[in-house]
Amino acid sequence: MEVVRNAFDFSDFPKTDLLVVGCGLLFLLFFPLLPHSTFAMATMIQFLMFSLYGMGWNTIGGYGGQVDLGKAQYVGIGAYTTAVMLIRWDVPFWVSMPAGVMFSVTWSFIIGYPLFRLTGHYFAIATIATSLVLKDVFEVWDFVGAARGLEILATKYDAVDFTHLIFENDNYYYYILLAFFLLGILIINWFRHSRLGYQLRCIKDNELIAQSLGIDVHKSKVKTYALATAFVSVVGSFHACYIKNIEPEDTMSLDLSILIALMAMLGGAGSLWGPIIGAGILIPLKSYLKEWLGASAGLVGIDLILYALIIMVVSAVEPRGVWGLIEKIRARRT
Amino acid sequence: MMKRFSMGLAWCAALMLIAGGWLVPSPAAAVKEVKIGVIYPLTGGAAAAGRELRAGAELAAQIANEVMDGIDMDMAKKAGIQSLGGAKIKLIFKDHEGNPTLGADLAKKLILDDKVDGILGCYHSSVTKTVSAVCEQYGVPMINGSSTSPALTKRGFKWFWRTTPHDKWFTKDLFELLDGLAAGKVRGVSGVKKDDLQRLAAACERTEWGAHVADLIKTLAEQYGYDLKKSILYAAKSADLSSEVRSLKAARPDVMLFASYTSDAILMVKTLKAQKAKPKLIWGQDAGFEKPEFRQTLGDNIVGILTRTVFLPKVADIKPVAGQVNQLYKAKTGHDLGGASARAFTGVQTWVYALEKAGSVDHAAIQKACNTIEIPGEQLVVPWAGIKFASTGDETGQNVLGSGLIGQYQKGKDGKIGLEIVYPFDLATADMIYPFPGW
Repeated sequence: MEVVRNAFDFSDFPKTDLLVVGCGLLFLLFFPLLPHSTFAMATMIQFLMFSLYGMGWNTIGGYGGQVDLGKAQYVGIGAYTTAVMLIRWDVPFWVSMPAGVMFSVTWSFIIGYPLFRLTGHYFAIATIATSLVLKDVFEVWDFVGAARGLEILATKYDAVDFTHLIFENDNYYYYILLAFFLLGILIINWFRHSRLGYQLRCIKDNELIAQSLGIDVHKSKVKTYALATAFVSVVGSFHACYIKNIEPEDTMSLDLSILIALMAMLGGAGSLWGPIIGAGILIPLKSYLKEWLGASAGLVGIDLILYALIIMVVSAVEPRGVWGLIEKIRARRT
Repeated sequence: MMKRFSMGLAWCAALMLIAGGWLVPSPAAAVKEVKIGVIYPLTGGAAAAGRELRAGAELAAQIANEVMDGIDMDMAKKAGIQSLGGAKIKLIFKDHEGNPTLGADLAKKLILDDKVDGILGCYHSSVTKTVSAVCEQYGVPMINGSSTSPALTKRGFKWFWRTTPHDKWFTKDLFELLDGLAAGKVRGVSGVKKDDLQRLAAACERTEWGAHVADLIKTLAEQYGYDLKKSILYAAKSADLSSEVRSLKAARPDVMLFASYTSDAILMVKTLKAQKAKPKLIWGQDAGFEKPEFRQTLGDNIVGILTRTVFLPKVADIKPVAGQVNQLYKAKTGHDLGGASARAFTGVQTWVYALEKAGSVDHAAIQKACNTIEIPGEQLVVPWAGIKFASTGDETGQNVLGSGLIGQYQKGKDGKIGLEIVYPFDLATADMIYPFPGW
C-alpha cells in the first residue's frame, strides 16, 4: 500500500510545476488527435523512448551518481530477445518483453556485481567496455543474425496486431509507449521516496558516511542498476517491434549509450523531470534542426554544428542541466 | 468554479494549438510534378559518397526535365514525363546518416507527409533494408540504385527493385580475375601460377553489406579453390585499424580483399602502408575504394590497387553517351562520374522510364510498369546490357542485365592517377600492374 501511496505522492513539488506537468500530460494524451505530420509523430515516439531510457539511467546515474555509459547493451538484450522470440517462435510481445527484462536484469547482476567495486571514471570506462564486448559478441553470433541483424517483416502480420505489437499506424505505438511512460514516472516517483532511493542519494553525497550509517553500498548500487536496466530493456523490446529491424551497430552502439546519459544529464540528473526535459529538448531539436537546416536547405552538417553548440552552451552555463537552471532561478526569486 | 475550469480548458486548448501549429506540414503545391523521395547519407562517415550520389541523381533529373542537345538519350530529347503531360521530376532529398532507424523514419515521413510517388535510395544496404520494409508496408514503389547486399532481393518484396548488380556477381568477378591471371588471360601479365595467389585474407566492415561480402568471399573461395587464411570484420567507424592490419599480415596473404566505406578505406590503406604490408594484390569491393577522396588523400600510394566498380571514366571510350553525361557531371562537380554517381543517375533514369511506361502516378500502375520495364543498354551510362527486373523467383526485383567491372589505379601519361579497366578481359583499357608494386 505504501508503495502505491509513494508512487502517487507528488506533494513535494510546487503547484506551478504540477500545473505545467498536467498541461504537458494533456498535450501528450491528445497529441495524436491534433493535426500533425508523421515526422512529428516519429519525433514524439523518439522523445518518449528517450525519456524512458533517461528515467532508467537517472536512477543509478542521477540519484546514485554512478556515471553509466553502457546502457545500450540492455537496449540490445531487450530488443534481441523480443525479435528472436517473435521471428523464431512467434512469441507475443507481452511474453518476450518480460523475458527480455529477465535476461537483462540477470546480465546486469552478473556484470554489476564486480563492476560496482569500481568507482568514478573507472566505473564509467568499465561500463563502456562491457557494452562494447557484448556488441562484439552479438556481431559474430549467427543465432541472432550476427552483424546483419534481424528483420521483422510487418507484412506477415495484421495491420493492427496487439499481441505481437505490430501496427501499421503509429498512433497505436504512441499510446502504448505513453502508457509505459506514465508507468515509468510513477515507478521513479516511488523510487524517490523509497528506502533504496534515500540510500542511493546518501551514497552519492558520501559513500563512507553511507557505509557508517549501516547502508550496504554495494548491494544498493547493484539493486538500483537492475532497476535502471529493466527500464531500458522494456524500451529495447518496444524498439524491436517499432523499428522492425535491429542490428548490433544500431541498438548497441556507444553512441546510443552516450545519448541516453547525455539526455538525462542535460535535462538534470537526479531529478524526476530532468530526463524528460532533456529528451524533450534534444530530440525535437535534433530532428527539426536537421529538417529545416539539413539536406533540404542544402546546408548539410550545419544542423549538427548548431546542435553541438547548444549542448556545449547548456553544459557550460549550468552543469546540473536545465533542471538545475530552473532551480537556480527559483532560488534567486525567493 | 465553473468559470475557472472553463478558463483552464481554454488555456489548455490554446497551448495545444500553439504546440500543434508547427507540427503541421505545409500543403503541397499543386503543380504538375512527380515527387520522388531520395534518401542518401549526406552527413556522417559516408558523406563523401552522399555528395556524389546527390549530384548524380540531380543531374539525371535535370536531363529528364529539360531538353538537352548533345546527349544521345531518350530522356534528354523530351522535357518531363510525356505520358504524364510533361510532368517534371522533383527529387526530395533526405539524409539518413547511415542510420537504419533514421532511414525508416524518413521513409515514413516522405510517404505520409510529403506524399511522394516513390522512393529512391539508400546506398547503405542496412538502411535500404529498413526503408524498403517501410515501402513494402505502405505499398509504395522503391527503386534502389546502389545497395549491393544480395539479401535485399531475396525477401520476395513486391515494391522493391534494384538496378545494380549485387555483391555475389561482383565477388565472382574477382575470382574470375584471379583464375584469369593464372590462365594468362589478363592483358600485360603472364607467367603467374595459381599457387602464387593461393592465400587470401579479407577484412570487411561489419554491417549488413560488409558481413555479406565476407560470407561471399568465404563461399566463393572454396568454390574456386583458394585458401582463405583469415577473414575479419571491423567497425567502419574505428579510429584505428592497426591491430586488424597486424592480424591480416600475420596470415601472410598473397591477396588482400576489403569491403570498406570511405573513411575506413583510407585509414586501412594508410595502416597497410605504415605496417609495410606487401601482398601481390589488393582488391576493394567498390564503395570507399573508388571515391574521389580515396584518390586525393592517398595519391601515389594507391597505384596498383584494384577495385570493383560499375563505372569508370574509361567507360566513355566504349560508350559515347557515358562520355557526354560525364562531361556535364564534371562541369558541375569537378569530378568524373564514379560508381556511386553513375548508379544514382541510373536510378533516377529508371524512375523516368517506369513513370513514362506507367502513364500514371498510381502505385499499382508503377508496380506493373517496373515489372515489365526494359531499358536498352545503349541508353545507360553504365556498361550494362540494359535494365530488366526479375518479377518472380528467388531474386525478385533484381535487374538481370547488369554487370560489373574491375579497375586498377594507374598513373596516366599526364601524371594523374585514374582507374583503368582490367576486367572483363575484352574491355581492358591498359596492361595490368602485377604484382602490387608496394609503397
